[in-house]
Amino acid sequence: MTAYFIRRIFQMIVVLFISAIATYALLNLAPGGPLQGLRQIQQGGRFQITEDDIARIRAQFELDLSLQYRFTRWLVGWPTGPIVLGGTEYFSDVVVGCRKPVESEILNDEGQYETKVTGCKEVVYMKDLVGRRTSRGLLRGDFGLSWRLLRDRPVSDLIVSRLPKTIQLIGLSTLLSLLIGIPLGVYSAVRQYSKFDYFFTSLAFMGSAMPTFFFGIIMILLFSILPKDAGWPYVPAGLSESVRGYTIPLIGEVAAGSVKDRILHLVLPVAVLTLVQIAGWSRFVRASMLEVMRQDYVRTARAKGLSERVVILKHAFRNALIPFITIVVFTLPGLFSGAIITESIFAWPGMGRLYILALGDSDYPVAMAIFFILAVLTVIATLLRDVLYTMVDPRIRLS
Amino acid sequence: MKNRILLILGLLVSVSMILSACGPAAPAEPVEVVVTQEVIVTEVVEVEREAFTTPHPILSDLKVRQALSYCTNKSDLLASVYPLTSEETRADLVMHTFIPRDHWAYAGDANVTIYAYDPDAGRALLDEAGWTLAEGATFRNNANGDELSLKFTTTSAAFRQTWAAIWEQQMADCGVRIVRLHAPASWWFGDTTGVARRDYELGAFAWVGQADPGGQTLYACDQIPFPNNGWEGQNAMGWCNEAASTNIKLANNTLVKDERIAAYAVTQAEFTKDIPSIPLFNRTETFAYNAGLSGIDPQPGEPYYTYNVSEWTLEGSDTIIMGFTQEPASLFTLVEDAFVAQLAYSLFRPNQSTGLNYDFQAQMVKQLPTIENGGTTNNDVEVAEGAKVVDANGEVVDLAPGVKVKNAAGEEVEFTGGTVVMKQLVSRFDLIDGLTWEDGTPVTEADLELGYKIACDPESGATSFITCDKTAAAEFSANGYVQTWLPGVQDPTYFLPVWPIYPAHQLGDVPAAQWATNPLVAESPLAYGPYKLVEWVKGEKMVFAANEFWPGGAPATPNIVIQIITPESQETLLLGGEIDILDSTSLVGLTETLVAAEGEGKIKTLVNPSATWEHIDISLFIR
Repeated sequence: MTAYFIRRIFQMIVVLFISAIATYALLNLAPGGPLQGLRQIQQGGRFQITEDDIARIRAQFELDLSLQYRFTRWLVGWPTGPIVLGGTEYFSDVVVGCRKPVESEILNDEGQYETKVTGCKEVVYMKDLVGRRTSRGLLRGDFGLSWRLLRDRPVSDLIVSRLPKTIQLIGLSTLLSLLIGIPLGVYSAVRQYSKFDYFFTSLAFMGSAMPTFFFGIIMILLFSILPKDAGWPYVPAGLSESVRGYTIPLIGEVAAGSVKDRILHLVLPVAVLTLVQIAGWSRFVRASMLEVMRQDYVRTARAKGLSERVVILKHAFRNALIPFITIVVFTLPGLFSGAIITESIFAWPGMGRLYILALGDSDYPVAMAIFFILAVLTVIATLLRDVLYTMVDPRIRLS
Repeated sequence: MKNRILLILGLLVSVSMILSACGPAAPAEPVEVVVTQEVIVTEVVEVEREAFTTPHPILSDLKVRQALSYCTNKSDLLASVYPLTSEETRADLVMHTFIPRDHWAYAGDANVTIYAYDPDAGRALLDEAGWTLAEGATFRNNANGDELSLKFTTTSAAFRQTWAAIWEQQMADCGVRIVRLHAPASWWFGDTTGVARRDYELGAFAWVGQADPGGQTLYACDQIPFPNNGWEGQNAMGWCNEAASTNIKLANNTLVKDERIAAYAVTQAEFTKDIPSIPLFNRTETFAYNAGLSGIDPQPGEPYYTYNVSEWTLEGSDTIIMGFTQEPASLFTLVEDAFVAQLAYSLFRPNQSTGLNYDFQAQMVKQLPTIENGGTTNNDVEVAEGAKVVDANGEVVDLAPGVKVKNAAGEEVEFTGGTVVMKQLVSRFDLIDGLTWEDGTPVTEADLELGYKIACDPESGATSFITCDKTAAAEFSANGYVQTWLPGVQDPTYFLPVWPIYPAHQLGDVPAAQWATNPLVAESPLAYGPYKLVEWVKGEKMVFAANEFWPGGAPATPNIVIQIITPESQETLLLGGEIDILDSTSLVGLTETLVAAEGEGKIKTLVNPSATWEHIDISLFIR
């Protein structure tokens, strides 16, 4: 058991390391970033950008350092300057980047001009890193500074500001959909081809097929805007809380930011996510249950004279849950990543929106932090899944 | 197990090798670097001499350009992107030159050539140009059998795809085949691709009109980008009309408004005569707001419609909620130039001047110091070798033999030694009386000086320091400052205030390098405007309350909240009463939902001409 965990943790570290390299490399290859458009600005009259301005901005965002130094500074906060041993500095004159690259226009074979870096006018040495701001490194919990969304302030501040709302939304909807979806799936399987099964199967297919975007808008129209206009009870159309107090028929006055206000704002987004998840999960449980109920050991249980309740709950349901665990544990990264579409429709200030904004605004430190945390949660979920398997299925041993 | 360990070790070795390969070249001696650069430049020059000197075989013909203009139905293009606007509104949005029609610098309809939609005239011109339509054919050909086919490049934005499809049809009706290429904006507006490299035949994009029309970098002969001038300039069309070029330079280098108007008129007349670009239409700025809201009055030319926020009222509410689809990243506006940040900033530190209706007005200063009102003097100063001046190209240089400058008579002369008499602007800016920080501390000389110090400190993180570089001296007093520009600065907008005001009693000891990261600067700055920021919940809202020390008196509405929303939710939140205002940064145009809601009296909408205008640039030369 111990050897298994040691082996798995070592594998996880390797996977995370490769994931970090891949994430960093891919985002650094992507277009955009703080320098995008700067050269166009310099054409203006009162607002001109000089070569020194560009060099300074490159340095501010570490874009003047070579990729591997940027990577290690992001990962472990090193190097921060020459190594000092016994009062002597080593590697001071190692070149770690280029402050002012020489860019030339080259006409390529296709007749297109290409800008290529063909040299360096002014290099950055290891000794120049002394005194530069840097993060303490991802491995020490420092995700660095945001380039754009929270300009020059910690990425962790952004994540901390969004995470509670996402956990609230995704956690609640996941819990509700499990509580509702599993019994529905079991019931549908047990009463296969009954009216309920047909009805619920139809609903589930509709739920799975209907885009969340459309579903959300319909919900807002049906339960917020139309009833409000008609003077009936309604729920707020979006946001996580109101700025102004309001009055809802039958419910009464709702103070802005009160618990009642927050609960009312949760209703629609949670309902949308829950209904969509119920549709998928109940179908999965139903299929799994149907498969298990055809197994010999279920037939044997029935032959032993056990009550149908015991057969279903103890013999069938427990075994049907084994494949279901695979799906459920992977809601763990979902708790962090949020629900992009639902958050957008309801203006919910969660991680999903943050993720989209980070990519859209080329705020790569934020995007990289989200990617990395998702990678960590995914490998943890994988481990958790394997451990849970051994708990629900006695045939599986970790060793 | 052994295999797995070997595999992992192998992976680590591979990663190390990749990282090593990505490493910088071995430390190079500076001499080697220079040699490399020289070789490359030589290569480029050989190519550049031939680039963009051959007239475009089709588009260099004026008749073809005129035909394209006559065949363009601008009103229909507008209808395609703003289907819910009235015909009258659309007529107001049509552009004839590179300056909006309600701008003070517009030449007037009578002084420019207007190409009203007249496809017959367009067809006739194409016939004259030798592009004829064969019986039963859709597209025209010339005598050589070449088809009249033009490549049209623009972004892939839905807005442009929509009107471009209509324009393609309009051109087809005149027998011109348009081959549309909708490229990613990152390529089209890239630093080294698309427009910047003149990589188009017909290219559509937008410019943003401003109270000062500028235009020198767009239409002067010496602003044509070539490979051998480092692609300097924005005249990517390659248009060189001596009269237009001389006058656009004059318009941008004289301080007398009447002279500027006359010079712009000549340039516009030449522009519409030559048609290096087809101006299409102003985009719209759409606002939708709570029907009970009054006082909001956005004006063309002034992007910050909050300029009169202290007059806004909302029936039955002490709070007005503005919906922003983008959250400000920081309120340190020296480093954060996003519009939403500037708009939020204007609530607690109003801009010192406004640009209502494309003109300039004083807001936080008593008057804009012009030469006419005596607030500015344009002195003759004798400048000796070694002094910092602005040369004839607008660059800050040390005066030395060989440097070309403009002398006091406005003539471009080469400095040969001794002294030269140049013009020097000196402006006095007086702040309005009673400016006080929200903590009760009056705005002082130290606050003004701190603004100058931080704006000009490279450590602050600001992007550009050109204003600092062009400043000879700034002398501060309790209620204002005197700005002395370097000799040679003759910027037509010299009368605009230049320095921000920061609270020295709070931030005077904070080093410039820490300003961008300091929460007191970025997240909770002190106010001297009508409102103060009392709470900022990241990702959710910014809450402002009336600043009791605002000298303009208590705002009509005590609280303003900026609610962070999403584009997908904006209309439902407005109709649901969660927000009160949607501005043009969120709304692309009117929607059926908004129009219907206005019809029911739930909201009001407002459509103004935007400062942003669409146009099709014509490449007059090929590579």
